[in-house]
Amino acid sequence: MSDYVLELNSVTKTYGDFTAVDDVSLQIPAGTVYGFLGPNGAGKTTTIRMILEIIKPTSGSISIFGQPSALSVRERIGYLPEEKGLYKKMRAWSIIAYFATLKGMDRKSAKKRAYELLERYGLKDFADAKTEALSKGMGQKVQVLASIAHDPEFVILDEPFSGLDPVNQEVMEEVIRDIAERGRTVLFSTHVMSHAERICDRILLVAGGKKILDDTVEGARRHVPRRLRLQSDTDLAFLSDHDAVDRMVRTDVEGESTGSYDAILAADGEPVDVVQACFERGVTLHRFDYSPPSLHEVFVELVGDKAKEASFR
Amino acid sequence: MRAIFLIAWREYAENAKTKGFWIGLFLFPIIIFASIFVQRILDDATPTRNYVLVDQSGEYADVIRAAMENRHQADILEALGEYQAKYSKVKTEAEMPDFESMPAVDQEAMAERFASGFGSKLGSMLKDGGLEQVLAQMAPLLVDDRPEFEEPKLRFREVPLPDGMAAELGLDELSTELKPFLKGSQSVMVDGESEELFAAVLIPANIGELISDPGSLQGLQAAMSGAGSRSGIQYWATNLADKDLKSRVKSSVIAELHRKEYLARGMDSDAVAAVEDLDVPFADLNPNKAVGKEEVSMADVLRQWAPVGFVYLLWVGIFTISQMLLNNTIEEKSNRIIEVLLSSVTPGELMMGKLAGIAGVGLTMIGVWMGSLVTILKLSAGPEAEFPTMLWEVLRTSGLIPAFMVYFILGYLLYSALFLAIGSVCNTIKEAQNLMGPVMLIMMVPLITMMFIPKDPNGTLARILSWIPLYTPFTMMNRAAAHPPMIDTVGTLILLIVFTGFVMWMVGRIFRIGILRTGQPPKIMELLRWVRSS
Repeated sequence: MSDYVLELNSVTKTYGDFTAVDDVSLQIPAGTVYGFLGPNGAGKTTTIRMILEIIKPTSGSISIFGQPSALSVRERIGYLPEEKGLYKKMRAWSIIAYFATLKGMDRKSAKKRAYELLERYGLKDFADAKTEALSKGMGQKVQVLASIAHDPEFVILDEPFSGLDPVNQEVMEEVIRDIAERGRTVLFSTHVMSHAERICDRILLVAGGKKILDDTVEGARRHVPRRLRLQSDTDLAFLSDHDAVDRMVRTDVEGESTGSYDAILAADGEPVDVVQACFERGVTLHRFDYSPPSLHEVFVELVGDKAKEASFR
Repeated sequence: MRAIFLIAWREYAENAKTKGFWIGLFLFPIIIFASIFVQRILDDATPTRNYVLVDQSGEYADVIRAAMENRHQADILEALGEYQAKYSKVKTEAEMPDFESMPAVDQEAMAERFASGFGSKLGSMLKDGGLEQVLAQMAPLLVDDRPEFEEPKLRFREVPLPDGMAAELGLDELSTELKPFLKGSQSVMVDGESEELFAAVLIPANIGELISDPGSLQGLQAAMSGAGSRSGIQYWATNLADKDLKSRVKSSVIAELHRKEYLARGMDSDAVAAVEDLDVPFADLNPNKAVGKEEVSMADVLRQWAPVGFVYLLWVGIFTISQMLLNNTIEEKSNRIIEVLLSSVTPGELMMGKLAGIAGVGLTMIGVWMGSLVTILKLSAGPEAEFPTMLWEVLRTSGLIPAFMVYFILGYLLYSALFLAIGSVCNTIKEAQNLMGPVMLIMMVPLITMMFIPKDPNGTLARILSWIPLYTPFTMMNRAAAHPPMIDTVGTLILLIVFTGFVMWMVGRIFRIGILRTGQPPKIMELLRWVRSS
């Protein structure tokens, strides 16, 4: 058996002339939290549906727990779809228990588990409420709980954060971390980079159906040049000769001369060396500021144009 | 298999919790109960109706009064019969009237003959203290703790003209004056109580001149010129439904008229009356029945019409629950719950589970309906309740209920599969309603034909409709009691099963693709492509 929970080999899905997913390959090792990032229309949901065997790929192969069919291992997978909905007339506990029994749990332990989960995530008082009486956030929590009630080894969450307020987004992050701490594998899609940054081990970035990046969060950051922000009355152009610096860019706001520069660092350049060089020359720095690039910047850098294109399509 | 069961169970449990389900469940027994007992209740609730009779010719008042008296005597006799049946000491099956062999007669005609012939003689006997005598004779045969026999109340009672009105006035004036009473804005005084006036019968003085013979040319002309005018006997009433009084007045006047004419022509009226009483046995025979039992019985008539009730029930049952299936399929689709379901079960399992679950709802409903029908009939059957007894006999012996069950299940599978296909390609109820239009049209046909088919159950129309699988359940149910040819029964059943299987297979393929689709419902050609794709 392979060590990977999920393997995709050159998976492609076309609808008529439109290619939704284009030759995507992917391997997810057990126990990782995988962020599935990409702009709207990038093919994230289509990929997830193919993983779950809801739709079939046009070409390529998918192996999940070493099996070609997700349905044959359905009790080991949990899934939260992108668009959230519940049976309006069912009670919160019974909907969680129902989905758990569909995944193979027996009715009695499913019911017990439903109440446990609702209590743990602060919905104890709403366990017996009909889902139509719940707020959107609560409903979404119920749905997430329904998708993990059978304690799956591999959890797939499609846009788990959408529609949640900041507090509930944190609760959701906590839920994901809880799952991860139990050694489970998580794949979740989002287009909000900060969540991915905080909880992912690895990220997969897609745009226009194509895989753009598949790396650790650290690795992903290396894909955009690091910048050291400097401000000084002295001309800092000399720094471009420094080993740690690739090039210097003036970032003055037009018409104003504030002496702002971005030192684009070389691949292994240390920001400290650059600042040191300034001190050695006796240059007074009004400000220096270094922070590693965020996934947000990575995202904009790598798929910014495609995302715009997609939104106009 | 387990997944199918789980989905079916959820569908069943959720739908069984809805208000509509419970209303449907109880409405039917209530309707059955009402339709059986409403006649009795209505009879009891109808007040004695008051009428005024003005006979300016002075020739017919007595015969009319005598006819109305006879009518009351017939009521007493009937009540006496029921009284005896109800409190009889021996109550065995054998005592139940044998409806299978009771000839199918026009009961009203029989009652009429009875009232005018033998009944009138018996009636007058009852009147002259005969009732007590009959009751006394009956007493040893009846149980001891019975209530006293109560004479039924008068259905019609003649009342004098309201105060201040003279019978000698012209009929036009008289009717004008009576109008407020007939309309209910004024009431007549009867035995010191104010009562409503139901009708007025006004016979003009010149009635003798108006006698016509439509067989002759002059008579025809007179009848035509007189048609619609007020010449002749006037019957005034606001109630057009209760024609009992009118027809009795008319028949007794005509009988009297005939009697006088016989006399005028020198014939012996008693001899004529005796001749008129002559009768010849007339048997309705049906070649479909067993040798020696070819007589068409009351039960046969009922058996011919009872299927109509079942067809209606079938129709209501099938479309109520198919609608449920449509609604919750669309709910799952618009909520995208479908994705979670499909990550756990195959589309095939989902479809089968839904079909089975809703079928369970339907069978529960039908089961309760049938159960309550049988229970109500059984409980109310007995010597004093002819109709339920007869209906119960028919249901027990005719195999209508098993046929109903078979056609219900097959019809449900067929139509629910169609509804499921519609549900799977639509995102909202509104979209579904557009597609439902044609289906509704198709569905209306059995409702329209259901009243015609019993008249010619093995005719061309019935046979053609039977061979159209969409109509097989309804039409064959319609014909179930008419002994359709074996080829029709078996052939259409096989065709229906095959067709249903084919539709379900096709719907399975449409369902699989449609259920995940969003946006516009697909075109027909696209649907065909889905069916062909593997």
